[in-house]
Amino acid sequence: MAIHFQHVSYQYPSGSYQFYQAINDISLSIPSQGEMIAIVGQTGSGKSTLAQHMNALLFPSSGCVDIFGSTIRQKRDKKISYNHLRKHVGLVFQFPEYQLFEETVQKDIMFGPMNFKISAADAAVLAQKAIVQVGLDETYLKRNPFNLSGGEKKRVSIAGILALDPDILVLDEPTSGLDPKGKSQMMELFTAIQKQTDKTIIIITHDMDLVYRYMDRVIVMHEGRLIRDESPDRLFHRKNLAELHLDYPETISVLAAIKAQFSLDIDIYQKDMDAALVELRRAVGK
Amino acid sequence: MSYIEVKDLSFSYTGKRMILKDISLSIEKGEWVAILGHNGSGKSTLAKAMVGLLEPNQGTIAYDGVVLTNDTAYDIRKKVGIVFQNPDNQFVGVTVRDDIAFGMENLMVPQKQMLEMIDFYSEKVGMKDFLDKEPSTLSGGQKQRVAIAGILAMQTQVIIFDEATSMLDPYARRDLIEYIQKLNQEGITVIMITHDINEAMYANRLVILKDGTIFSDGDKWSLFKQPEIFENSHLELPFSLKLAAALDDSLPEEKAVKDFLWQSISNT
Repeated sequence: MAIHFQHVSYQYPSGSYQFYQAINDISLSIPSQGEMIAIVGQTGSGKSTLAQHMNALLFPSSGCVDIFGSTIRQKRDKKISYNHLRKHVGLVFQFPEYQLFEETVQKDIMFGPMNFKISAADAAVLAQKAIVQVGLDETYLKRNPFNLSGGEKKRVSIAGILALDPDILVLDEPTSGLDPKGKSQMMELFTAIQKQTDKTIIIITHDMDLVYRYMDRVIVMHEGRLIRDESPDRLFHRKNLAELHLDYPETISVLAAIKAQFSLDIDIYQKDMDAALVELRRAVGK
Repeated sequence: MSYIEVKDLSFSYTGKRMILKDISLSIEKGEWVAILGHNGSGKSTLAKAMVGLLEPNQGTIAYDGVVLTNDTAYDIRKKVGIVFQNPDNQFVGVTVRDDIAFGMENLMVPQKQMLEMIDFYSEKVGMKDFLDKEPSTLSGGQKQRVAIAGILAMQTQVIIFDEATSMLDPYARRDLIEYIQKLNQEGITVIMITHDINEAMYANRLVILKDGTIFSDGDKWSLFKQPEIFENSHLELPFSLKLAAALDDSLPEEKAVKDFLWQSISNT
């Protein structure tokens, strides 16, 4: 396993950001290959805290995390550099403002690769490739990241991680602030990267439609605990999601309402519009 | 003349690529208008221009007959406030109390009255117990409520929400929107900048921007009946309306489901 959590707990020092939730006794394995994993749960359930343990941005208060062979324990060891772990596991924050700091988009994207001793010339090539991947054109490279719109900043921050080409990508709400078209483009991009490279991609999200449609595995956090780790299909077959402050995908909730209204014999577990329409027509046609 | 009049507004950062092109828009007092558009359609730029944070290259914005200029901006900001997408970008105070006070301090409201107003409006948005807290310790939804309290305390009549719910989780988002509904019922004019159609469902009127121009402007129900408008402007209808649009009116069974979908959405 690429990342392995063993009984990991973390408490924030008292007096700091209270709305970030501590995590409690998390055990979890994440392979370096082959999975699209969603982490879901209401605000303050510990999702971001969990993610920040995946590349040693946070150190557990108890328990340990193995990341590509390095064991991360309670105390940060000043003699050890954890930098190489960030080449294995790349993390994109929810707010791109916390990540963008250079005067041009190009410099911003080149920063990560150059930090890992890639030459400026090669990093520039990577930046060029990454900016196109995230759906922007090369003219953006010369622009100041702070003059971009919210959606464009988001794309640039994702390009920065793609250029770094880590083994595992962890993205905190990569589609928030993107319009519907941008959202599906971004998810198609992650799916394509996953298919081409077989990397594991981990996404923190509140969007259950996206979870149902694109992800293989879903981890549910609730009050700092990991309470589910299963397939989206299995999760959305459960009846009590509202107790966890989770929504059902729109396809499921709308088809469920139709089923109840017309007493139809219909399979409500459809992932997209086309499949829902076919199933609905089959059910009403009978 | 309407309470808000935007006339022939154009804007460009560089002088080359136009972000807004000849936008004209009239909004009445008490309306709830959603300004919808894809990323880069110019909707946030329009919001910033409407509160005087950006100066248009051409055109005018007027509130209650007064055109927004450097000289009138001070008075107009008492009429219109803006809540931003990332709540962290709008806090200036050390405590929630300082933050709500900030706008009033600029208006030189006497201290006694100011303290009363802080009490009143923090209570109104449900944040009175948090007055001594640092804004950074609040959740996203709480931060947005504090921002609203600060705006209301200035007796503002119009609030522009610039994707103000997009960083909140679905529950906090519904909560905030329900709160905005209450404000609108009390007479506050609400202008909501968004690309989320589920959010636009709460408005009465939709203004759809595409590539810096107004692509469509009208009553939401009449626009919802024309799915191609949303498709052509890179927006997405809620799943239930997309499904309704795909159903065949000529088949009685499908028509029944379609009517049911329309009815359920108009009840929400």
